[in-house]
Amino acid sequence: MNEITLANLLSPVQPTWCPGCGNFSILTALKQALVELNLKMDEVVIVFGIGCSGNTADFIKCYGFHALHGRGLANAVGIKLANHRQKVIMIGGDGDLYGEGLNHMVAACRGNHDITTLVFNNHRYSLTTGQTSPTSAKGTVAKSTPQGLIEDPIGALSIAISNGAGFVARAYAGKLKQMVELIKAGILYEGFSLIDVQQPCPTFNKEQDYAWYQQNVMDLSAEYDPSNQGQALVELLDKDKLSLGVLYRNDQRLAYHQEVDVLKEKSLIEQFPQTVDLSKAIAEFV
Amino acid sequence: MSEIEELNWKISAKAGEGVMSSAKLFAKACKRQGLAVFNYYEYPSLIKGGLQSGQVRAALLGATCQRRHLDLLIVFHEKFINDHLSELNENSLVIVNANNFDPSKYPELKSQVVAVNLTKIARDQGANPLAANIAALGLSARVFAMDLQIMGRVVVEEFAKNKEAATKNLLVLKAAFELTDELIKQGKLTGQGNLISTGVDEQLLLTGNEAIGLGALSAGLQFYSAYPMTPATGLLHFLAAEQNNYPIVVKHAEDEIAAINHALGASFAGVRAMTGSSGGGFALMVESLSFAGVAEIPLVVLEAVRQGPATGLPTWTSQGDLNFILGAGHGDFLRVVLTPGSVEEHFVFGKLAVELAEKYQLPVLIMSDKYILESHQTMPKMILTNNNQRFAMLNDGRLGESGLGDGEYLRYKASEDGVSVRSIPGQGNALQLTNSYEHDQYGFATEDAVETKKAVDKRAAKLLALQKELPKPLYFGATNPEQILISFGSTINVLREVLLSPISSQIAVIHLPCVYPFPTQEFEALLADKIAELFVVEGDATGQLAGLIQRETKIKDLRLILRYDGRPFYSEDLLEFLQSGQLNQQYKLL
Repeated sequence: MNEITLANLLSPVQPTWCPGCGNFSILTALKQALVELNLKMDEVVIVFGIGCSGNTADFIKCYGFHALHGRGLANAVGIKLANHRQKVIMIGGDGDLYGEGLNHMVAACRGNHDITTLVFNNHRYSLTTGQTSPTSAKGTVAKSTPQGLIEDPIGALSIAISNGAGFVARAYAGKLKQMVELIKAGILYEGFSLIDVQQPCPTFNKEQDYAWYQQNVMDLSAEYDPSNQGQALVELLDKDKLSLGVLYRNDQRLAYHQEVDVLKEKSLIEQFPQTVDLSKAIAEFV
Repeated sequence: MSEIEELNWKISAKAGEGVMSSAKLFAKACKRQGLAVFNYYEYPSLIKGGLQSGQVRAALLGATCQRRHLDLLIVFHEKFINDHLSELNENSLVIVNANNFDPSKYPELKSQVVAVNLTKIARDQGANPLAANIAALGLSARVFAMDLQIMGRVVVEEFAKNKEAATKNLLVLKAAFELTDELIKQGKLTGQGNLISTGVDEQLLLTGNEAIGLGALSAGLQFYSAYPMTPATGLLHFLAAEQNNYPIVVKHAEDEIAAINHALGASFAGVRAMTGSSGGGFALMVESLSFAGVAEIPLVVLEAVRQGPATGLPTWTSQGDLNFILGAGHGDFLRVVLTPGSVEEHFVFGKLAVELAEKYQLPVLIMSDKYILESHQTMPKMILTNNNQRFAMLNDGRLGESGLGDGEYLRYKASEDGVSVRSIPGQGNALQLTNSYEHDQYGFATEDAVETKKAVDKRAAKLLALQKELPKPLYFGATNPEQILISFGSTINVLREVLLSPISSQIAVIHLPCVYPFPTQEFEALLADKIAELFVVEGDATGQLAGLIQRETKIKDLRLILRYDGRPFYSEDLLEFLQSGQLNQQYKLL
């Protein structure tokens, strides 16, 4: 079986992202993380949302599932339940996962489904030419909000932490090494891991460019204890503060599939019923 | 007392008073006596109060649907008599759960009415007063001179998990039987004949929902996700309970969009997957149905129709979603729409749907309705063991080495019949991208005009082989009929009873068990040499099935018998129409 190598992951399709897009470094970090985890090519499934981030589907060779906008996490839950031996990774944007698909993200957190979710968070709907997203700052002027965005940005990470996600982290597309480590930790974590990756969109988000990020992101302090849920929520109350690292980690909670009786010994796909005896099922109809 | 070969029985009470279990147990006792049984429920969308009824028709022959006129009606509250006046005649026996009854209040009532305090019978045995529903069974067993032993076993089995309740209910059953026997001996109550017993009980009694579940399980269904919605909830409950016995995961999803997408994910990963809902929930799934179409993901969907539009009549039947189901999903893609009639057909199609979905890698919809999905009907016991094989899957779905070289595999490889061998995660050298975008043979997105046309044509090419495997229209009745009644889905259950009547020599019935792809050739062939008046009998207001027939066949001259008030058709009404031309005012003739 093929090992994951950078060569094996290489897609024949060239990325179509704009020069300077944060997606390039996130994809590099993801590939690097997969290589460093010593996985096999057929042990990983990546589900992709719709958007610039979702287009990663064409730029990496893997078992891939290019879903509908907002629905990828719901697919990922089904994939994991069908074959929990697979490492299931979800890639989507802030619009896809925090907007259209927020209900599915909350449900995935509540179930602590063992899925690693990378949110390519550029604070814009870029594939549809730059409208505001759920993470845009209040007042943002864009084509769909020419008078300035009235809503507050969503507290997506607080939502995740307060709804059962076991692993919540924030990364920045400009810090490759840290991204690689966070993605690896997220994939190894048995439960729902959410990694919000802050990234510039040089075409449609002129306010939050690399220079802006350099001034606004900071690593969590060495004393920060990620097992403290309350502290994590306090840390996130200040939405302007973009602290990087593992914000919350719960090592006490089982992943969803670990609590499903029929999945305790084998994955579902390994139990395809070649022969079915209906005797038990008809007992109440006799 | 004379032997009877059929009965019509009904119990009517407030929600929460045990009507459903009482009717189910009575139906089961009739089945155990070797009869064919149909058990139809009516209930409002609330948990306590309101009028709820369960009605059982049992017969040596037929009993494929409910009948209007009752041999025995048991009402828990006297006022409910008014709701059933049209179902009673001089031969009916009415039992009122009360100490006494004043017939002068109901001058139009011609039936024998007897007050029996069923609640007191339960209380006197130290049972919960709600066990009045069991007392009703004891009384009924005596009225029809049924086998009390059989009825007793049915009751004990129902309460198998609670020995104390089982014992008490058995006492209630016997006390009610004995009290009724006393009343008959005293001449205060007249029995309704001795229900025949064949001594051969080889049938199952179950609902359409349960039958679909059984069929799907036998075909190796391993994943079902849904959000509760009447009348599809029965399937969710049935399969959820079977998680203890079979390798299946049932997921109550956060909404219907998640439900269908869970199933799509599971199916992509290789397990046979299904979802289900009613019209409103299915409406939420529609974008994802289109995804299944373009990405060629096997998927089975139950659309359990209830009366719409919108929230509509949540607990009442309809066939009004036909056009919606035929057209659901943006873009052109192939689908199958199965429309099973009998409970047995629900079993067969539950299995068929799962297999067709995998074989042709497309969405297969089972359209059914509240009427048959929540009614109990007898069916012959099936062969209990089923051997499953995998279709169009790389290495028959086995994980591990595929034997392929790197780069050899193509998920959407061009093929004459439109079906490409499907790999699943965990198979070596068989990477693929299952894509909601139009895609090339590997799965990468494409906007190329030539590639796009090829991809669309490839998927459409499945039709040729698929059509050969679909259930064909069925013809019953006279060879040279004066009138032909055409229906789809559950309506055949009613039309079969029409065929039991003496006028069956002049009528015929066509049942369409699959409406899409429409069986044009077969349907036209059935009518080729017929000079009959054609009536389409369907449960909607606009003649959706008739419109489909006119669109898909040469047959244009159709009359319509429509019902769209949430209630099922009655064979009596259709018979009356065929004989006298008079149609029940709740129906519409076009």
